Amino acid sequence: MTDDIPEFAREARGFLDAHARRAAGPGQFRWGVGDDSVAYFSADPPDVEEQKLRAARDWQRTRYENGFGWISGPAEFGGRGLTPVHELIYDSVEAGYDVPDTGTLSVVGLGMIGPTILAHGQQAIKDRYLPAMYRGDVVACQLFSEPEAGSDLASLQTRAVLADGEWVLEGQKVWTSVAQHSQLGMALCRTDPDAPKHKGITAFLVDMSAPGVEVRPLRQMTGGADFNEVFLTGVRVPDDHRLGEVNGGWRVALTTLMNERATVGSEGSGPVAAALTPARLSALMRATWTWDDRALRRDLSQLLTGIMATSHLNARAFRRMQAGAAPGPEMSVAKLMYAQNLTRAAHFVSSLLGPRIIADTGEWGTYAWAELLLATPALRILGGTEEIMKNILAERVLGLPKEPGIDTTSPFRDLPRSGGAQ
Amino acid sequence: MSELKEGLDELRAAVREFLAAKSPESAVRATMETQPRYDPAVWQQMAQQLRLPGLALPDDYGGDGFGLTELGVVLEEMGAALLCAPFFSTVVLAAQALLASGDEAACARYLPPIAAGQSIATLAASEGNASWDPAMVSARAERSADGSGWAVTGTKSFVIDGAIADLVLVVARSTAGPALFAVHRGAPGLRAAPMTTLDLTRSMAVLTFDQAPAVLIGAEGQAGRLMSRVLDVACVALAAEQAGGARRCLELSAGYARTRYQFGRPIGSFQAVKHKCADMLVRVELAEATAREAARLADEGAAEFPVAAATAHICCSQAYLFAAMETIQVHGGIGFTWEHPAHLYFRRAKSSELLFGGPAVYHERLLDRLGI
Repeated sequence: MTDDIPEFAREARGFLDAHARRAAGPGQFRWGVGDDSVAYFSADPPDVEEQKLRAARDWQRTRYENGFGWISGPAEFGGRGLTPVHELIYDSVEAGYDVPDTGTLSVVGLGMIGPTILAHGQQAIKDRYLPAMYRGDVVACQLFSEPEAGSDLASLQTRAVLADGEWVLEGQKVWTSVAQHSQLGMALCRTDPDAPKHKGITAFLVDMSAPGVEVRPLRQMTGGADFNEVFLTGVRVPDDHRLGEVNGGWRVALTTLMNERATVGSEGSGPVAAALTPARLSALMRATWTWDDRALRRDLSQLLTGIMATSHLNARAFRRMQAGAAPGPEMSVAKLMYAQNLTRAAHFVSSLLGPRIIADTGEWGTYAWAELLLATPALRILGGTEEIMKNILAERVLGLPKEPGIDTTSPFRDLPRSGGAQ
Repeated sequence: MSELKEGLDELRAAVREFLAAKSPESAVRATMETQPRYDPAVWQQMAQQLRLPGLALPDDYGGDGFGLTELGVVLEEMGAALLCAPFFSTVVLAAQALLASGDEAACARYLPPIAAGQSIATLAASEGNASWDPAMVSARAERSADGSGWAVTGTKSFVIDGAIADLVLVVARSTAGPALFAVHRGAPGLRAAPMTTLDLTRSMAVLTFDQAPAVLIGAEGQAGRLMSRVLDVACVALAAEQAGGARRCLELSAGYARTRYQFGRPIGSFQAVKHKCADMLVRVELAEATAREAARLADEGAAEFPVAAATAHICCSQAYLFAAMETIQVHGGIGFTWEHPAHLYFRRAKSSELLFGGPAVYHERLLDRLGI
């Protein structure tokens, strides 16, 4: 299946040479030169964000028209019919070029929702949405989390009731990335409150422009608004927009989540990665006159050990996948480590900066770190909290037993809720 | 790639099977309480049946020409089994010092018997201050009166397997600076005194040299560069042992957490215990990745190797100590008994962490390798 990889990589390089510029590379880091942003979340004003989205869509369309829009997807829906390994190869080749960041389209929509529609959607729905998504026309979001369903996603309460052959959705979703840009949402809804929680859920595709869908920005602790709340008030969804069986939505959600774990934690580029290099951090020590502080040097070594160990882990996982092996626990480990490394980095840099991170002196490369400092708590929560990730590792890899409970066998209706409400 | 992987899996299976038969916990316990602290019969079988001492030595010197990647697989398994044998001292420290010296005559003389399992060797570098920094070496080497050889005088401590080594490679200072010398067991003026060790599975000795006749290995004043190279390789080899030991601790803990019942359920179903095990898994996965990646970079002769070696040394030292400590806690009272193997791993983990200086040294070594 993967014998043609060298040929495929050559073809990818040919395409990229024709349509993009080679990246300049990190080059020699020089203190005070260039962009000093260390933002994990976007800090762009709305007009810049719009402009970036347009560029992302254009680039996705170019990829699509040249056979690189959906490398592992079936040809029937505009895919290339190759393997996930080819996708990895393409990504690693593209990383050497200066191309627009397509994260808004790809992380949730193309990475998670597309494969779910492919696995569980009806033929007409696949025909209608899949080519449009991978061509860059349709942005999709994930309507999963709710105020009362965080780690315990299966306890979600948004209702869907069948009326006159259509489903009517009622409820609230939260922490929805890219909802403000989306034409399509994948919603998990409660369709049978008398069944145990995992067995009364159904998945739907929701037209985000339908009446009753309201998207409100959710301002997070950094001050920016990278997520949304989505209110669903009497939203009507045709039955052919259902994914999978009625009350079979948990299985559908697992398809989506399986693809999520593969994307978080593999972040090796961007402004944060660029800021956490030995060269940049040692320059910061020099600039802050902490160069010969033994305690801080030890902290630096500890920080770099974690960062380099994680990158060795990723490199080995990548090579194993290239050789056709199934992914092991590395992705979950990398996700936990990514959060730990960035958290440690933010606090290490704070120690170097001292008061210069509590008030902006205007000096290059100092107060800019506040963005990262304020973002790091999220990394231990999003994409599966640390506690949940550890449960998964312990249960799936080490075979430790689940915590016994009644919540998977009792009717959902009877489970205790926060605040004691039924 | 997959061919190589299969080769490594076969090697691992063969070594694991051998150690399960020849070095089960009962054998480790019997050996660690006797002198010498290894089983000569097992050592011979290791050489004759599996050709392990020569695995990563060049063909020209009687070895099989494999690299640190393959040697790492063997060391992971030895670390997991807590094998009591002079493997690390002979095959890693001494053989690597000979190779790093670039002295072909010395390699041709000393390496073939090592590859064949006929010679036990070690490297005597650190002294009473436990430092591996060649600048701290005070042992002296002087040309013998007749000018035909050298004589070494001084004291070396923490010499692994120093009391049983047939060949001692000793770092001593001549007027040109520190250099490497070979001293044979039984040489006049060489005395060995076993040390009481925290880790019962790795023996150490104090060696006293009093005008002991010695052969210069490589060139005078060369030991600074040589020790830096040997230390990088030894750190990666030790990292493999540490990763293997940490993995075994994790397996012991997870196994116990699955089967030990309290409050009517397996203790592994409590998150407090479950998360300890998950934390161990995270560190073990990282430890293995750094140890194996560093070995791969060494075999490729990559410029990143010294940084990767220092990273693996820190990562694996911390992972092993963490895993060994938490193993005792997951086991509770039984984990604190002499009869349970947890303390053997704890002792090995602590001793390995500090063997080349520990946190007081290894952080600065990483920054040094990074040029910071």
